[in-house]
Amino acid sequence: MKEKILEILTDIRPDIDYTNETALIDDGVLASLDIVAIVGEFNEEFDVEISVEDLLPENFNSVDAMVTLITKAQE
Amino acid sequence: MAFTSFYFLVFVAIVIGAYYVTPIKGRWLVLLAASYAFYLISSPKTFVFLLSATVITFLGGWYIGAQNAAHKSYLAAHKESLSKEEKKALKAKVQKKKRRAAALILICNFGVLAFLKYFKVYLELLADKLGGIAPDLGVLIPLGISFYTFQAAAYIIDLYRNKIEADHNILKFALFMSFFPQIIQGPIARYDHLAGQLYEGHAFSYTNLAHGMQLVLWGFLKKLVIADRVAILVNQVFEHYGDYSGGIVLVALLFYTIQIYADFSGGIDIARGVAQMMGIEMGHNFMRPYFSDSISEFWRRWHMSLSFWCRDYIFYSISLSKFFGKMGKRLRSVFGDRIGKLFPVLVAQMATFLTIGLWHGAEFKYIAYGLYNGGIIILGLLLEPYLKKAVQVLHINTAHKGWKVFQVLRTFSLIVIGRMFPKAVSFSAALSMYASIFQPCTAPFVGTLFSLGLSGGDFVVILLGCLVWFVISWKQEKGLRIRQSMDEMPVLLRWGILLAGFAAVLVLGVYGPGYDASAFIYRGF
Repeated sequence: MKEKILEILTDIRPDIDYTNETALIDDGVLASLDIVAIVGEFNEEFDVEISVEDLLPENFNSVDAMVTLITKAQE
Repeated sequence: MAFTSFYFLVFVAIVIGAYYVTPIKGRWLVLLAASYAFYLISSPKTFVFLLSATVITFLGGWYIGAQNAAHKSYLAAHKESLSKEEKKALKAKVQKKKRRAAALILICNFGVLAFLKYFKVYLELLADKLGGIAPDLGVLIPLGISFYTFQAAAYIIDLYRNKIEADHNILKFALFMSFFPQIIQGPIARYDHLAGQLYEGHAFSYTNLAHGMQLVLWGFLKKLVIADRVAILVNQVFEHYGDYSGGIVLVALLFYTIQIYADFSGGIDIARGVAQMMGIEMGHNFMRPYFSDSISEFWRRWHMSLSFWCRDYIFYSISLSKFFGKMGKRLRSVFGDRIGKLFPVLVAQMATFLTIGLWHGAEFKYIAYGLYNGGIIILGLLLEPYLKKAVQVLHINTAHKGWKVFQVLRTFSLIVIGRMFPKAVSFSAALSMYASIFQPCTAPFVGTLFSLGLSGGDFVVILLGCLVWFVISWKQEKGLRIRQSMDEMPVLLRWGILLAGFAAVLVLGVYGPGYDASAFIYRGF
């Protein structure tokens, strides 16, 4: 799953070093348009329903956080 | 009570004194008393509106918070016995209850805002169209209504989204809704960032006091020396726009771009500085917006508390909603994958900028301002692949500094052009002023420029003031923290700078009759 997430993220914003970034939201690295695109791709790729209530910085600050979010949404 | 009045400074001195002599646990009560006293002095007739918004939001928040707590404890108690479907059904049931309550509170609060701020304007417009006179409703616009209404809405939606816990102390909540440094022009605070800071008492800190005072001084410099000075020229041209054309209109537009930033950010600096003197750190509202390389970035740096409010509660709500997601999917088969995916974003973007426009006022010129900004961003999104291709074909090195400078200047020009809408007396006046830019000056440019109320000395002060401001902003862009670096300066140099700033406010500040500076622009919003 992590590889697929990385692939989606790199596709949307290739300029970011996702493996080392741990504050993608807190530091304003990802813009709102990126977030919408990422959520759309996640929902489609992993067949989950990530909604506006899940848009907490801690869910999107790092790739690991996104893995946890999707895993939780799949349960 | 204006921030720039002598009485405000005395008021702040008394509040800070009272804050630190009161035992730590009771310091929030000093802030509440000060905030209500400030409101009652500034706008006694509309106090009831603040009070009712506080009570409605508090009670509604309590109810939603209770739903959240009950849901959480039920889930914890029946964790093993509930199936996935049952959990889903329970969640939907709770969400429905919360949604109803949240909608009711939002309708109440925004209803009052709409009636007091917009209804009167539309009534006057209608009466004007029909050739009659609008009846005087006898209502005043409550001080800070846009700010506290948006703040209350954020609190309710965050509770609905289960991001925060409800406040159970109405007096503390009343303080969150009315904190005096921010009630006039923000920043629009979030409950999870500000409330805790207001409720806990802060121990005295010399650094906080000194840094807070420095920020207040900087705010006064921007407001009184720059904003109120350029305002003289700006008002002359915009109020008598039929008399001017060509470069003069362009200069007025550029000066207004300086004025609105100096005025609004100056007021925010005063608010943040006063709060910091009591150990309270309010959110940023500006992050050197004129260094932005796109309009999207500009709105992430300008009036950030409003932009982020719109992002979190309008943009995301629409762009991630099931309804617009489904619409986008349907459109994919007609317009292709890219447009289909972009569709919810485009709708959300337009709704966001329509709100930003309307937030400033009911007149069409404000709506046009929102649509202008939203339109540019949407155009940029739609043309993105073609623009990228153009960059490739033209072999533009996007990593080159020159490209960055071009982008910043291009964005700044677009911002300046757009400023015409909110400042012009009406939408049609804005269009007429745009057209007049392309007409030659009826009188010699330099002669006219010096007849607009500003002397040569004033132009020098404006130029020097903006230069100092630019250098400071540039240093901040490079990561320098000005006040911290001043702490490391030799004492004499530091005090020399501070006294020079203080003297500049006294000597170069623009004071009207009775030494009362003009009101902050955003106070009117």
